[in-house]
Amino acid sequence: MQKFRLIFSIIILTIGSHSIALAQTDTTAAPKDSLDYYDMSLDQLLKIKSHGVATELEKLINTLISVASKKPLNTRESPSIVSLITEEEIKKSGARDLIDVLRLVPGFDFGVDVEGVVGIGIRGNWSHEGKVLVLIDGQEMNEILFASTTFGNHYPIDQIKRIEIIRGPGSAIYGGYAEYGVINIITRQGGDINGLIASAVYGQMDKTYARRNVNISIGQKIKDFQYSVSGLIGQGNRSDQNLKDIYGQSYNMAGNSGLNPRFINVGLAYKGLSLRCMGDFFQTSIGLRYTHVNAKGSYIENFNSLYSELKYVIKINDKFTITPKLNFKQQTPWQTNIKDSISEPPAYNVTAYRGTANLTGSFNLNRYINLVAGGEIWKDYAIQNFDTTYFSDGKKTATYFNYAFFTQGLIKTRLVNIILGARYDKHNAYGDAFVPRVGLTKKYNRFHFKALYSQAFRAPTIENIHYQGTSNIHPERTEIIELELGYQITRKSLFTINVYDITTAKPIIYYVDTALHNDAYINFGKSGTQGIEAEYRLKGSWGYFTLNYSYYSAANKPKVDKYAVANNSSALLGFANHKVNLTSSFNITKNLSFNPSVSIYGPRWGYVPSDSVGISALKQFDPTALINFFIRYNTPLKGLTFGLGVYDILNQKFHFIQPYNSDHPPLPGPSREIVFRLSYTLNYKTKTVN
Amino acid sequence: MKNKRYINYLKKILVLALVLRGIWSGNYKAQETDYKAYTLFIYNFMKYIEWPEAQNKGDFIIAVLGDSPVTKELQTLAAGKKLKGRTIVLKKCNTLEECIGCHLLYISSSKSSVLKTLKDQIKDKPILLVGEREGLAKKGAGLSFVTLDDDELKFDINKKEIELHQLKIAGSLINLGIVIN
Repeated sequence: MQKFRLIFSIIILTIGSHSIALAQTDTTAAPKDSLDYYDMSLDQLLKIKSHGVATELEKLINTLISVASKKPLNTRESPSIVSLITEEEIKKSGARDLIDVLRLVPGFDFGVDVEGVVGIGIRGNWSHEGKVLVLIDGQEMNEILFASTTFGNHYPIDQIKRIEIIRGPGSAIYGGYAEYGVINIITRQGGDINGLIASAVYGQMDKTYARRNVNISIGQKIKDFQYSVSGLIGQGNRSDQNLKDIYGQSYNMAGNSGLNPRFINVGLAYKGLSLRCMGDFFQTSIGLRYTHVNAKGSYIENFNSLYSELKYVIKINDKFTITPKLNFKQQTPWQTNIKDSISEPPAYNVTAYRGTANLTGSFNLNRYINLVAGGEIWKDYAIQNFDTTYFSDGKKTATYFNYAFFTQGLIKTRLVNIILGARYDKHNAYGDAFVPRVGLTKKYNRFHFKALYSQAFRAPTIENIHYQGTSNIHPERTEIIELELGYQITRKSLFTINVYDITTAKPIIYYVDTALHNDAYINFGKSGTQGIEAEYRLKGSWGYFTLNYSYYSAANKPKVDKYAVANNSSALLGFANHKVNLTSSFNITKNLSFNPSVSIYGPRWGYVPSDSVGISALKQFDPTALINFFIRYNTPLKGLTFGLGVYDILNQKFHFIQPYNSDHPPLPGPSREIVFRLSYTLNYKTKTVN
Repeated sequence: MKNKRYINYLKKILVLALVLRGIWSGNYKAQETDYKAYTLFIYNFMKYIEWPEAQNKGDFIIAVLGDSPVTKELQTLAAGKKLKGRTIVLKKCNTLEECIGCHLLYISSSKSSVLKTLKDQIKDKPILLVGEREGLAKKGAGLSFVTLDDDELKFDINKKEIELHQLKIAGSLINLGIVIN
């Protein structure tokens, strides 16, 4: 009954919002009703759009993004299936962390890996280790030992300006960590901050706090120079629910599932020269090792990384740009110091370093032809911090080299844009990988289409090579075909639909043998999914809503046992075949917005502890609806904003399921959470950052 | 069970409501070309390009070759505005012969293929050729419209062609467009 009321309320709001919309002034209306229109100054002509004054939606879909092509293109012509998430959408949704933002993206979802770490899955495929590249201001967040990224109160959501997402392959541009997707996070730079922005968030679950974080950013642009310094510090709990392992042991996660971020991001730029330094010191606590509740209680795990980049964009002339870039990163992920009673890998303390040199040239032959080509070389070095015989041949260290060449041609014609690209990587341990791609895109007024064929690969990491089992590990290779059609129904609404087919050969899969207490990375046979994603976007000065649906099926694709669901050929472990998301925002007044969102998951499958001690059993999880709302209010005190939200209103207590069968029990997520948010913006000039 | 059925029913209504909400939102037109913006640019071409002294008398004649939605907008311009005190006259023509004698000749997309013949006919006469279709400036028109990736409306400038027709383009207008030679 409670569910109906909520859905009914949303319908009323949806329809009712029409009158709200009408009550607002339509700022997109063109000032063309008189002959004065022809008296615009030449400066004003600079802002004229070919299709009239852009609506809020048109501004969004005409935004130039470069994540899919290096050469900036609008979202409807970018040669990938893309999603663009703006600062406004993040702020209005009151998103607690990246999980809240990314789970609303078609085809994206989350599952649990080991030791309570939550990772990402794309289109039904577990992508946590090395299959989705996460970039923050151009820095690759994936740690290079396993290539994983950890989600949940980790990255500085309050500092994000925009997220550009490729919901498909990106290897032809980005290499071996971008097989299934790319998440390109762009934070606010000096000119965007233009003063000081401070924010604090507090989230309370039933039994304990979910997060208490503070963000501060300062920055400014002074002529050709800009600087920014942003920091996040906080504490959190993954859940306050009980977790039970396959041996029948359980514990309560309140106070035992810490998610404690510390993140600093410094950027300096002068003309084409830029320097970026980042520190990410993420600490978790968990009472579970791989498969069992830890005998000695919860323990601390650290994921520490330092990043730096020196880049110089050299504009040789109007047509030719060369960009040399040097990157260095140092990472000590998954670091633990405990030893427990069961003989699984006890403590872990390995530091990895990667130094990368990249040279990229971009040549605009004319407005219709662009060529990008470049090369990249890196060296990886890893050292075990307390064991002298960790790596193969009794060594304490491991060293690898990789070089790569990449190229891309973009040809724009009246009929179609053609994108051809390829990347070749050669690694001294596991060999080479060559991944071409072809894309055709075009928009014709209201209609647009994309037809894409890509190959992609996942590069084995330092620890994949180390734990490669009895046979040598190889890059896994993927072929993806995608087709997107889009139609702009009105000036404020857009409908897109896409289908895809993914086949991955020799997927690298983490395998734990519970009986023998050992683990390994092994190339299995073949896997893949097919699916469809559809999205309807409506955006105006009154607010917006976005409704999307995603479906995947593994029924017609080869499977590996680790991912498969017995007696259900279409489903894979951990991820629902059907998912619906709704995000919306209604400007009740100029200063007050109401922002409901809903994620509805179809049935999911996962292994849970069975009645027999030490054994997991396959279980179907019932459909789940996560319903949230956030109210955002700009107070009369200039720059001060207050927000209040409730997440998981129905208290569904979502569980993150392990998307491969390795006996990790489903990890409880947060229960119903009430969130308070306060932010203050002090601008050096009159510019306002909402 | 009954509850589930109701929830499904309400979900369907919600989806329908969202779609209707979009269509109901008032503006049925999608992102179609804004020819009034084209006309605004044309008016500025007329203001910031100088014709030989002998052409600065009498009405200012705009000819549109072929069918184009811009004609309707130019009619509004001609009816309501003047160019430095001169009346603006709009002439619609279907053949090249009908176009001769104008100051500004707008070549609609459908007539792009006749540009070469047109140029042969008008030679160096003081006529500004404006192409509706992207790329015509490269093929010999003085100016032609172009839409950039972010939907900005711009125009290509073939400075040599403009000067060949005894016209002078102001620096301020050059700064606004894209010079191709």
